[in-house]
Amino acid sequence: MPQSSSIAARSGSQVTDTFATLGRRQEIALVLSIFALIAFFSFTSDYFFTVRNLTNVLGQGSLVMIAGIGVAIVFMSGEVDISVGSLQAAVAIPLIEVMNATGNLWLGLAAALLLGLIVGVINGYLSAYVGINSLIVTLGMLFILRGGVYLYTGKTAIPDDAYLESFFVIGNERFLGVVPYPALIALILLLGFMYVMSHRPFGRKVYAVGGNAEVARLAGFPVKRVKFTCFIISSVMATISGILLASRLGSAVHLAGIGFEFQVVAAVVLGGVSLSGGVGSLLGMALGVLILAFMSNGLGMLDLPTEWQLVITGIIIIIAVAFDEMKRRRAG
Amino acid sequence: MQKILFAMLAAGTALVAVSAVPASAQDTPKRIGYVVNYATHEWYQNVIKGMKDHAAEIGATVEVKDANLDVAKQVSAAEDFIAQGVDVLILTPVNEEGVVPLLRRAKAAGMPVVLEGNPVKGMTTMVAICDYDTGYDAGVAAGKYAKENLGGVAKVMNVGLPLLSATVLRSQGFMDGIQTEIPDAVMVHDLDGGGNPDRALEVSTAALAQNDDINIIYGINDSSSLGGLQAWKAAGKSQDGLLVVGTGGEGLAFINAMENEPSYRIEAAMFPEKNGYTAIDAAVKVFNNEEVPPHIVSPTAPMIGDEWSKYYDYDGTTRSIKWDAVNALVPPAKCTKTAADLK
Amino acid sequence: MVSEVSAPPKSASLVGALVGNNQIVLVAALVVICVGISLAVPQFYSSANIIAILRQVAMVLIVACGMTMLLITAEVDLSVGASLAFVGVVAMDVINVTDSVFLGALAGIAFGALVGLVNGLIVTRLKVNSLIATIGTMMILQGGVFLYSREAIQNHHHLPSFVDIGAGYVGPVPIPVIVAAVIFIASYVVLRHTTLGRYLFAVGANEKTARLSGLRTTWLKLFAFVLTGALVGVAGLILGSLMNAGQPTAGRGFELTVIAAVILGGTSLSGGRGTLIGTLLGVFVLKVIDDGIIVLQWNQDLQMIVPGVVLIAAIYLDILRRRADAR
Repeated sequence: MPQSSSIAARSGSQVTDTFATLGRRQEIALVLSIFALIAFFSFTSDYFFTVRNLTNVLGQGSLVMIAGIGVAIVFMSGEVDISVGSLQAAVAIPLIEVMNATGNLWLGLAAALLLGLIVGVINGYLSAYVGINSLIVTLGMLFILRGGVYLYTGKTAIPDDAYLESFFVIGNERFLGVVPYPALIALILLLGFMYVMSHRPFGRKVYAVGGNAEVARLAGFPVKRVKFTCFIISSVMATISGILLASRLGSAVHLAGIGFEFQVVAAVVLGGVSLSGGVGSLLGMALGVLILAFMSNGLGMLDLPTEWQLVITGIIIIIAVAFDEMKRRRAG
Repeated sequence: MQKILFAMLAAGTALVAVSAVPASAQDTPKRIGYVVNYATHEWYQNVIKGMKDHAAEIGATVEVKDANLDVAKQVSAAEDFIAQGVDVLILTPVNEEGVVPLLRRAKAAGMPVVLEGNPVKGMTTMVAICDYDTGYDAGVAAGKYAKENLGGVAKVMNVGLPLLSATVLRSQGFMDGIQTEIPDAVMVHDLDGGGNPDRALEVSTAALAQNDDINIIYGINDSSSLGGLQAWKAAGKSQDGLLVVGTGGEGLAFINAMENEPSYRIEAAMFPEKNGYTAIDAAVKVFNNEEVPPHIVSPTAPMIGDEWSKYYDYDGTTRSIKWDAVNALVPPAKCTKTAADLK
Repeated sequence: MVSEVSAPPKSASLVGALVGNNQIVLVAALVVICVGISLAVPQFYSSANIIAILRQVAMVLIVACGMTMLLITAEVDLSVGASLAFVGVVAMDVINVTDSVFLGALAGIAFGALVGLVNGLIVTRLKVNSLIATIGTMMILQGGVFLYSREAIQNHHHLPSFVDIGAGYVGPVPIPVIVAAVIFIASYVVLRHTTLGRYLFAVGANEKTARLSGLRTTWLKLFAFVLTGALVGVAGLILGSLMNAGQPTAGRGFELTVIAAVILGGTSLSGGRGTLIGTLLGVFVLKVIDDGIIVLQWNQDLQMIVPGVVLIAAIYLDILRRRADAR
């Protein structure tokens, strides 16, 4: 058993190595696009290239980035999770309700994480163990959570009546007055998970399972448990982004996170993480997030009708993925 | 056309300028940032139109960012405006609780803020119509109409939108208003039409099939009332003995309906252009640290039959507001009911 | 791991027998729901309500016929809701300009087919995953429709024949129902009794094998995309006609209703498996539930929750059934 798993680990690392080289080229292209975007928007608006604005964008992109870590890992394992937007709205309810009742931030955070974990367990169990297509499971979860939020709140927002300064700070203030706290949290999580995905056995297992589940199973990987864990990571990450959003909104807003899943999926695929599993990097995802965040900020400063943002984002996604596929076929 | 419109706007503004602006010279903000909650809606397009036209009059520019009903995006857009250093921020909250921290940060950054539409904890001032009163006045008018033309019977189908407090208030106001004329008026069906024409059509179809005694359709916006009416027509029913009441007067759809549909007799007009105009006036005042009331009410009026032409010119493709008539309307000093009364 | 979820053999065969046929389950569910609602609200069986349900079913079914074929080829189209709104706007605009309902209808259907063609080309030529590709075109269409027209386009010439497309009758039967029936029967015949239908299944079941055995897989997929697009054109015309206007805000969430109905009917997301009878039943179940929640005057938020639960439950049953079959 130890022998077979070490073989599997080795072959898994070989797989990740090839993809790593392939991925690195992709990431260079993404970094270049970001520089091009920054240069372009600095030219079109005087307000774009300021410390205040650039750090703003980092803060704004961080919610997508945090949820994106989880969704990207689920994608890498060959599954999908589109319930993150509804979960963002749902976790804010126990968070705010418990804080209002107890006046304690930590109890509120624990309640939110508990709901996130439960959702992750359900998503993971139905997808990994029962074997229902994860698109359907998480689509169903998207509706159930959103409907549940509407029913519970009666379609109003639940205000934060505890007024905890610490709760305000995590979403709204800046570390040392410069870096928004959400950006700092996103960076720490990103670095942590990048380490796990490239240097820990779990990361190799995810790539192996996503690359070819049957081969991974024969090589002795616990396919179902790996996928199950990925769903839990995704829900926990979405929960953290939901907590930060609740701080920025000072309440549990029933409308929060509608369409958030599209933003996350867009950033993830733009970053080169494939829907078919086994491919992509968290760094790529993070760069994808930054590109979309800079675009949204920069286009917002041009006096364009906002619909152009939708159109341009749609076009970029298609082109990026098409380009990606082309490269992969050429390499393969 | 644009020239005529502009001339009329100028004439209207001149009139208001004489009556409204105090003699003391004001500083004018140069750049005004407006974060709209949903720019694809005709209502907000006309609010923006009113803002831009009036801002041009006083030598300011209005920049618009669209939150597109996304609470997170709204906060980001306002952040961007603060970073860009606009002189005043105008904000239509997607959700009134969701911008409380934002107002606190704007205050910390020394940014004057005017709210449009909905009140928010900690705000300086808000420009808005009174939703309840708008519904109420339309309800009274509908009651009178029903007494004369519908044999005093009022069985109402409310094509509502429970998602927003403003639209809930309109429906409540309508029922309270109609009951002053017809005490036993009832709401037979209370629907969630999503504020969308196709959803309104779909849910109305089912409700009309269930209750064939409905004789009044109330819609919280024009899409809702029109969706209800289209469901009625699709069911093959005659419009005799039906009254449709719309709310908003958002775009062109209601003018078309009032011209062509025999049952579409009452429109609770809310004059979005005037709302935008008033918001710019309020922005100038907060920019100058002047004393402002917490709620600046923008007027509304029920328009019955062809009364819409009193307030609007319509040439088949665009409408233009008649500022004299709209500026002559006297808004209530205070709303009878607000979102706070729903809790 | 597997032992955790698979029931012991005896009960599995019982479950297998009970849910032996997905369609029997759906029919039974439909009967139970209908009887339940009508016991509570007798008006549920009024002819007005039945016509109302049929009209809603018709709109979804028309698109669902195409979507079923598309899913059978292992592709999906999420842009149908956004396209639905755009079709209505384009058709109404062309009618206003040309004063001809025929040309408007033609333009609407052509526009829908064009969207399908673009989707198909992106998926088959650029090899973009159809889920991502059609999320992209969905965004483009959602933004594009407002750039095309920010206001609802009215029926300026007040042509009554346009209104008839959605609201008219032939005898006692609403026109959209007839249209849907024709499209359904044609699709059924194509899928079940023609070579084309067999090829569609083959492509979805295993694209590589299909290609190696000489099928032009990209053309087959392209066909399914264009067909779906054209059918969106037909449904968009009906919706536009019912509203007597081209509404850029229409169609939100329509794609999810269609896909949910198709999957509920037993068509597999991974391709190669599916039936149109199942789709028909799936559409009926979802739309009857939708209608029932309104006539029962229940909280309409349930219109989101119930389909979510029904969908997951149906798939769960389906998996149990296939496990039982495999035993």
